[in-house]
This record gives sequence, structure tokens and C-alpha cells, in this order.
Amino acid sequence: MEKGQVIISIGREYGSGGHYIATKLAEKFSLPLYDSNLMSDLASEKNLYLHKLKKYDEVPKKRLFSRTVNGYSNSPEENVANLQFDYLRTKAAEGNSFVVVGRCSEEILAEYDGLIKIFILADMQHKIDLVKNIERISAKSAENLIHQMDKKRKTYHNYYCKGKWGDSRNYDLCLNSTTLGLDDSVEFIADYVRRRMNK
Amino acid sequence: MLPQVIAVAIFILMFGLIISEKVERHIVTLGCGLITLVVLFGLCMRNAEVAMATLNIRSIFTIGFWYSAGAAEEGSSGINWATIIFIAGMMIMVEGMARVGFFRWLCMSIARLVKYKTIPIFVTFMLMSAVLAMFIDSITVILFLAAVTVELGRLLKFNPVPMILSEIFCANLGGSATMCGDPPNIIIGTSLGYTFADFIKNTGVIALVSLVAVVIYFYFVFKKFLTENSDSIDISNMPNPKEAITNKAGFIIHTFIFLLAVVLLVTHAMTGLTVAFIGTFIALLTLIVSGKHALSLLLKADYKTLLFFIGLFVVVGGLEQTGILEIIAEFIGKISGGNIRLMIAIIIWMSAVASAFIDNIPFAATMVPVIRSLAETQGVGLDVLAWALSMGTDIGGNATPIGASANVVGTSVAAKNGHPIGWGTYCKYLVPPTVVVLIISTVIIWFRYL
Repeated sequence: MEKGQVIISIGREYGSGGHYIATKLAEKFSLPLYDSNLMSDLASEKNLYLHKLKKYDEVPKKRLFSRTVNGYSNSPEENVANLQFDYLRTKAAEGNSFVVVGRCSEEILAEYDGLIKIFILADMQHKIDLVKNIERISAKSAENLIHQMDKKRKTYHNYYCKGKWGDSRNYDLCLNSTTLGLDDSVEFIADYVRRRMNK
Repeated sequence: MLPQVIAVAIFILMFGLIISEKVERHIVTLGCGLITLVVLFGLCMRNAEVAMATLNIRSIFTIGFWYSAGAAEEGSSGINWATIIFIAGMMIMVEGMARVGFFRWLCMSIARLVKYKTIPIFVTFMLMSAVLAMFIDSITVILFLAAVTVELGRLLKFNPVPMILSEIFCANLGGSATMCGDPPNIIIGTSLGYTFADFIKNTGVIALVSLVAVVIYFYFVFKKFLTENSDSIDISNMPNPKEAITNKAGFIIHTFIFLLAVVLLVTHAMTGLTVAFIGTFIALLTLIVSGKHALSLLLKADYKTLLFFIGLFVVVGGLEQTGILEIIAEFIGKISGGNIRLMIAIIIWMSAVASAFIDNIPFAATMVPVIRSLAETQGVGLDVLAWALSMGTDIGGNATPIGASANVVGTSVAAKNGHPIGWGTYCKYLVPPTVVVLIISTVIIWFRYL
């Protein structure tokens, strides 16, 4: 590990405010944030079509429509996921510190001592309220969307990782953002990160 | 009845496990092959003779396996060792060629020859893909072509996806032209005793007519994507093809070995040398000239694919020995009502649809005894059915991204370089030419042979 390197990995349930927390942590520690913007970086670095890559961001592999030959997979989802993993590995290997949202980062960057693995969850009603307001949809639709998105994230994660998505044993800290609220959750995690950095 | 049920159950289990990709496919076929030998032949049929016939090891120690005055026909059932030995030999030869930089040199030389103009590269790469795939496995052809296409796309600022899609199609089409181009053809040729010349004169002609049609199709469909940035590119900084060559003397020797393999294959009906002999000879030659690299070449050979074949042939042997394949043949004969044209259409289109979704190698291995039985019982020429099966399995695989190995490797190379190709894009451009080539194949077979 590069001296002082810190990588904050934020896994999250849909509607738990995980992305908001990650953004605030990145601001607080003046670190770059890697979320779906990672695709833009990849596209501009390699001169690629961003819209084609974004389509497959954190999308689970369609097993029935995929085949692997000598280690080569036709699955665009799998190949795009591996592109992102390689990008994150390169950034970490260069000694960079950053905040990363999802993308199996708690496992693919596990070899780095500076990795802090956090999972954000929330009560269902809290998640429904948040999604309802952001997406401007009914409570029922919000609940359906939450189930759908969490299922997608879980399938995506569990295909590439040995540890299961949301299983507390895979993370340093699992926090229910409902209890403290989003901003206090940010403060709480920031305090934890500082303590870890000083260890 | 019980042996038939067990044979079908093992076959379905094997296919299911291959599709699920939970276990590596060579372990699946070897495991199912072992179940066939122990449970089906041993416990259920209690017939050691059948097990020995399926293992077919004795055939390797016959003169006819290595040298045959006429066309060499493998044992009627079980492991097709000629296919396995030939594929192993070609794998080693191809590894030797790749080590000295042959494929990259060839691609870069052709690009330079056409002055790095996008459309001429597009057309020549399609033709090169088809010609190389006539003699070399399509996975290797696409692996190198797609990688160079992506690199050229970056340098010349064009979208490599249309070019890779057309290369994939042409590799599968080129593979259908010869006995050694595609694994189903090797299986059909060695099992039924057809020569390289037989394939060239029959499937080769169909492939050539089809190639003209698909080059025209791809030209008109993809032209607009490939002319976007054709101007203002400085070609003086393009990579020199010679830089691809890692060892000049080795390059000359391995190119000579490749040409020798082509000559031996083309003339094998005249010389009497079987494909098993040619595969072994070429592999030994490659290993001898590779010196200290010989061991690494041997280790690079794709043993998993060879093991996959061995297990697969045993499982298909189980279906054959229990008479299941004869039942399928009878069924095809029945639904075609003795109409040979309909029977041929069924073979081509059924093989094509199946190969579009499942591995065409097990399908071809299963269908060879079926067409043999059909020829015996329905009075239709075995060769006609063989060409129909060959075109159906080789071309049908083009229709989907998972239909053939070249499709998987080509789309994977594109995606690894940031150009993901989904089912929608793939099928939109490659289903129409697949249908066109299948129609061409059906019509030529109908009117040429009936």
C-alpha cells in the first residue's frame, strides 16, 4: 500500500442515500468520486462511445444469453464490468485515494490496506420516501423500483464476488442511514474514516 | 428401453451443464462420458464390447488411421481420435505461428498494402478472415483480426464493431469451405470418409458464392459507419508490419510449415496421408523447429477443448449404441414423407437453428450417425446430407453472439476494448446474411444434387 492511501468503498441499498453519503465523503476528504462517472473517464481515456458503455453499467450478466470460450465471454455486461474493475485496480495500484460507489469494490480492491468497506442500508419506508421524491413516482412504484434495483445489484455483485451483497461479514461498517439521517451518517462515517487513517 | 432413457438423460444433463457454465465444459463432457461408460455400458447394458468400441482406442493402432489409399473413415462409433489428433496438431502449429508474430504481421501488411484506407481494409480483412479460417481454427483467426481491427480503429478513427462483425461472419463462412476449417466439418469428414477436395468441391463452392453475396451485403450495410473519419489521418506514423515479427528465421520456418500443412491437406486424398497423420507430422515439425520454446508451445495447446471432444464423443456414442439416433433419423424420414428436398431443408435449417443457440460441435457429432442412418434407410445420398449438415451447423452459428466460438471471441475482444456488442446489434446485422447464406446453401444443394 502507498503511504496514506485511503479508498472508501460504499456499497448501498437503492434509496438508502448511499450515493449522497459517498458524494459528501468525497467532498469532505477532497477525494475523487467514482460512480457512474467512471464510464465517462473510461470513454474519454480510450476514445470510446460513452452511451454504449453506460448501458451496461452495474448490469448483471444475462447467463442464458452468454457463452464463454477459452476465457472470452460474449457478455457485454461482464466485459464492461471487467473494464471498470481494471480501471479501479489501476487507480489503486497507482497509489491514488478515492471514494467508490458499488462496483464490487469492497472485494476487487481487498488487497489494499487502505480500503475501508462500508455498506449503507435503510428502513423501507425511508427508502420509499427518498425514491418517491427523487423519481417523482407513487409509493407503490417506488417500492417496486427498490426491489427491482436491489435485486439487480445483488445479482450483479454476487456473480463477481465470493462474499454476498449486503452481508455484514464483508464490510468494516454497515450503517442504517435511517437512524442518524443522511448528514449525521456522513459525519459518523467520516469520524470512522479518520480513526482508521490514524491507525 | 432403460438404456435409451439413461443415454438421453446423460445427454440432456451434459447439454444443460454446458449451457449453465457452472462447471467447465471439458469436465462436464468427461464426467458425462464416464457416467456413460460406467452406468450405461457397464451397469445397465453390461457390455464391455460396446464400451471398448466407444473408446475406439484400437483404431489408432491400425495403418488405416495414419495412411489410407482411399478416403479414411473412422470407426462408426465412439471417440473420433482423428479429429482430436488433427485439432491438437493444428493448435500447436498455430501457437508456433503466433509466437513469431505471423498473424499480426499479415494483418498489418494487408492494411499497409491498401494504404490504410478504411473501406479497402474492411473488404480485405473480410476476405482474409475467410481464407485463413479455411485452414486455421476460427478462434485464432478472430482473436488476431479483431485485436488488429480495434488497434487500426483507434489509429484511423473508425468504429471497429462493423468490421469485427463482418470478420466473424466471414471466418465462420470460410470455415465451412474446407474439411479442416470448422470442427463440425472435421467430424463429418473423418467420420464419413470425405476428403479435403470433397469439401472444397461441394461446401467450398457454396461458401464462395455466399462470400460474394455477404461481402456485397456488408459493404452496403456498413459503408456509412466506416467512412466517418476517413480523411485527415496521418498514415506515416502507422506501425511497421515488420515490427510484429519477433524472430525472423522462426517466422520464415513457421510460415513454411503452415504452407506445407495447406499443401498436405489439399493433396491428402492423393497422398493417402490421413488428417491424423498430417496433424501429428505438422505438430512434431513445429515442436522440433521451436527448440527451447517447444515445451511452452505444448503447454499452450488448448487441452480443455481436446478433453471436451473426448468426453463428448463418448456421450454421443451412448446415444448411438442405444439406437436413439436411429429413432431421430426415422423421425426426420417420417416427417419429410420421403421428400428428399424437404429432408435436406430440414437438415440445413434444423442444424442452423440449433447451432445458433447451442454449441455446434456436439450437435454435429450427434447428427453424423443420424444422417448415416437416414442415407441407409431413405435412399438419399450420404454426401448430399453431409453437405447440408455442414452448411447448416457452420452457418447457423453466425446468427447469435453465442452460436459459434468465433462470435464469442470476436465480441469479447471488442468489448474488452470498450466496444460492447449486445444481442440486438449483433442480430440486427448478422441474422439477415445468415438467412441469405442458408437460402443459397439450400438452393445450391437442391439444384446441384437432386
